[in-house]
Amino acid sequence: MKALLMWVGALIGVAGILLLAGMILNVVPSSAVRLVEGYMPMQMLFELTCFVAGFAGLSYVMSAMGMPFPRFWQGIGFWAFILLYLKYRVYPPIPFSVRAMYGTVSLVAVFMWVSASEEDWKKFKQPIMNVLDAQTGMNKLLRYAYLVLLPILIGGFSYNAMMPKSEEPIELRTVHPAPPASTKVHGKTYTLQTSQNPYRVNQEGKYDQEYTNANIVEQGMGRLMKPNANPWDDKNQGYLKYVREGGEIFFQNCHFCHGDNLNGRGLHAFAFNPIPANFTDPGTIAQLQETFIFWRVSKGGIGLPNEGFPWASVMPPWEQHLTVDEIWKVILFEYWHTGYYPRTWD
Amino acid sequence: MMDSITQKAGIIAAAAFGVVLVSSAGYSIVSAQGLPEGFKKGDLAPEPSAEMIEAGKRVYFTKCVWCHGVDGAGDGPGADRLWPRPRNFNQGTFKIRHTASGELPLFDAKKPVPGQNDLFETVTHGLPGSAMPPWEGILTEEQRLQVLSFVTTQLVKDRKFTDKQSETQTVLQLTDLKPKPATDESKKRGGELVVERKCVECHGMEGRGDGNAFNLKDDWGFSIQPADWHKCWNFRGSRQDPYNVANIFRTFSTGVNGTPMPSFADNTTVDERWDIANFVNSLCERDSLGNPLSIDPLTDKPKINFVIPSDMVEGEIPTDIGHEAWQKAPKRYVAMGGQITHKPRNFVNRIDDIWVRSLYNDKSIVYLLEWDDRTKSVAEGKLPWAPTQVNIDVKEQDPKTGEEGSIAAHQNNYTVYNDAIAIETAVKWKELPAPIKPRYLFGTNDQFPVDIVKWEADGSLRAFKGTGWDKDFEERDNYEESMKLLKGEWKDGRWYVMIQRPLGNKKDQDYDEDTFFEVGQYIPTVFFAWDGHNGDAGRKMAVSAFFYTFMNPPIPRETYIYPAVIAVGVVLLEGWVLTRRANKKKGKTL
Repeated sequence: MKALLMWVGALIGVAGILLLAGMILNVVPSSAVRLVEGYMPMQMLFELTCFVAGFAGLSYVMSAMGMPFPRFWQGIGFWAFILLYLKYRVYPPIPFSVRAMYGTVSLVAVFMWVSASEEDWKKFKQPIMNVLDAQTGMNKLLRYAYLVLLPILIGGFSYNAMMPKSEEPIELRTVHPAPPASTKVHGKTYTLQTSQNPYRVNQEGKYDQEYTNANIVEQGMGRLMKPNANPWDDKNQGYLKYVREGGEIFFQNCHFCHGDNLNGRGLHAFAFNPIPANFTDPGTIAQLQETFIFWRVSKGGIGLPNEGFPWASVMPPWEQHLTVDEIWKVILFEYWHTGYYPRTWD
Repeated sequence: MMDSITQKAGIIAAAAFGVVLVSSAGYSIVSAQGLPEGFKKGDLAPEPSAEMIEAGKRVYFTKCVWCHGVDGAGDGPGADRLWPRPRNFNQGTFKIRHTASGELPLFDAKKPVPGQNDLFETVTHGLPGSAMPPWEGILTEEQRLQVLSFVTTQLVKDRKFTDKQSETQTVLQLTDLKPKPATDESKKRGGELVVERKCVECHGMEGRGDGNAFNLKDDWGFSIQPADWHKCWNFRGSRQDPYNVANIFRTFSTGVNGTPMPSFADNTTVDERWDIANFVNSLCERDSLGNPLSIDPLTDKPKINFVIPSDMVEGEIPTDIGHEAWQKAPKRYVAMGGQITHKPRNFVNRIDDIWVRSLYNDKSIVYLLEWDDRTKSVAEGKLPWAPTQVNIDVKEQDPKTGEEGSIAAHQNNYTVYNDAIAIETAVKWKELPAPIKPRYLFGTNDQFPVDIVKWEADGSLRAFKGTGWDKDFEERDNYEESMKLLKGEWKDGRWYVMIQRPLGNKKDQDYDEDTFFEVGQYIPTVFFAWDGHNGDAGRKMAVSAFFYTFMNPPIPRETYIYPAVIAVGVVLLEGWVLTRRANKKKGKTL
């Protein structure tokens, strides 16, 4: 039973390594196994777990077959694997400085693993000692090679590091800065704690969070509307009617950046930095109150505090283009289309 | 009797003329069955099931209706502010196909196979350069097939995908046709063929889409532009794989239905088509080593590097683009979006990228800006506003106008203003703690202004101070005299503009309104571009994000000395380790 499990693990390990190698060498397109939007961290953890299990199986199977993989190379190989995984698999790419941090942490972890017991540590350092002692011809050769290569490599690296470079400065921006207590739009003051979306109403025209939440699109692949809640039905009253009106405004104004699927990949998005918000990401509107969105939409990029980079954001202050009613309707549509409930204060 | 003879002669003459017309391209190439080379007869796909169609309706009314409209007439709420307009499905006219010109595209609700299902691939990969996004990863394969089942049966109204009486399928066998290696010879022949087959009449002598930029119309009467072969990532049929020559081969073989782009299957051999495809593909922008640019999978456009490095030259900065210094200077892709922040917003910007290079010497810095613009635009007569004016009277496109008033209908009907380009840099950037900058759109206020250098197609080069998005520019004293326009030329669909400006020093310039450039520092830089034939003026323009101008410092001597010292140190360290180990062992064995 254990052997079988280990075999399965080994197969997973080999398949994973081949896939990663393929991606690094550009044989397998990096989109072959897609990272599902919004679930990236979970997927990454799952993949890494698979890899670790796979490696354990692989190591077991190899020693069972009489070709044990030396502890020294296991340690180095695993560390190299982590670095390559972070560089080539994780998307969007992580900046080098962050990868260096992860690399250091995993190096420490690998050291703790190989030095867990005195015996392990001995096994690990044995190959190093062998080369130092140079008892065999091969080790002698290796020793001289290291003697020559190490200074050259280290000298080369430091030359590279000292060459003047022009890498883009890293600038960290707060995507959702703290909102003000109230905001004045078209001459009227809205208190963010107490304001409500006037269009979040049921068929009778009463504010009804439950009713509207029941009529948003279904979560899950595709995020489609509920079969009997089509905003394009002419008989609609209340919520769904306003969703459609909000959608019309969205597709006349907002989709240019935020995209036809509200995922921040609109027509002009490629040119802008910071990139437009992705509303389908569980980290944006799903985490925020409707009134926060109302403030962000009305005041736009220019209304952000400094930590939000008001100088670079192209988000329009929508009070210049839309009425208050139109802004509320667009917000209503954004929650409908993504299938998220706005956060509430309680 | 006489009459009948003349009549007959007339008919014969007419018939002969007809034959000449049909084969007017010189000669036609058809295989034994009368099909163009590379094509085979195909069967019409079966009708999708009623369940598929019903399920597809749900997808359509969640995702598609907003642009394509309730009846699929391409008139949804978003349509009037888009160019190209969303597809009108009613006529069954589809652009990207494997089928012969005029035929319906391939669609089979049960066969989501690349190369055998055109509409499925269009929905999967989107149509780059238009508002149609790739739906892969958003809709499942099943959902994509469902929505297409709905569209092809319910919204295509003038034709029927299953009607054997009226529809045929003549399918390009693209998977069986092996691409010809892109040798120099093949590309050369392709280059000759595009002239011979008159491709250049529309696509322009350099393939920048400037050959017939004003008169082309699609089937619905809207202006349409020939593709710019240098931006393969904007090819509608690029299938998110822009440097793949097979996509060009396919478009060239089947034509683009609903547009003036014909199929060339009847008058070119497969071999010739590969030559042409290889040539067109070779024109697409590549890096300095000739490799394809890396494409960002999130945007399907080239990846952006936000630093514009400027190399130092000794003496005068050359004005000839062919000069070695310019050839060696790194070239940066600057992506441009429409200015959609303040009125009048520019929903359709016809300039979507600029290529920037820079050089400097001890006194000046020079920017070389190149961008594709199909139309050279110079305003006729004097513009009705001062060059400093920002809040000028240019109307923004209304959201709901109907087809006649839409942006698509306005193309090539705008009042023509000057093509123009501007470089905006931060003034007193050193006093702003990073990452703070003056606002990208004409500066923050009087305290954090920007330095704007604007060139216009009338040949003027002006310097302004910007203090806010809605504040008129201020003239800067004396600065214009210290600048120099080294080049301002439009050739075959591309502008080449070279602007020289002083690096800045306290003696000759004004610290409070001119940008001072310093070696080894990141200087915030934004680019603006105006296309005069798009009615661009004032804030109706294209904008870039923040870039940085970075003047590469000369390499200091330490860069060579320290690594050598370190290497020697490592050698000493190695000696120490080895001796220690040897001593330890000796101690043990003794």
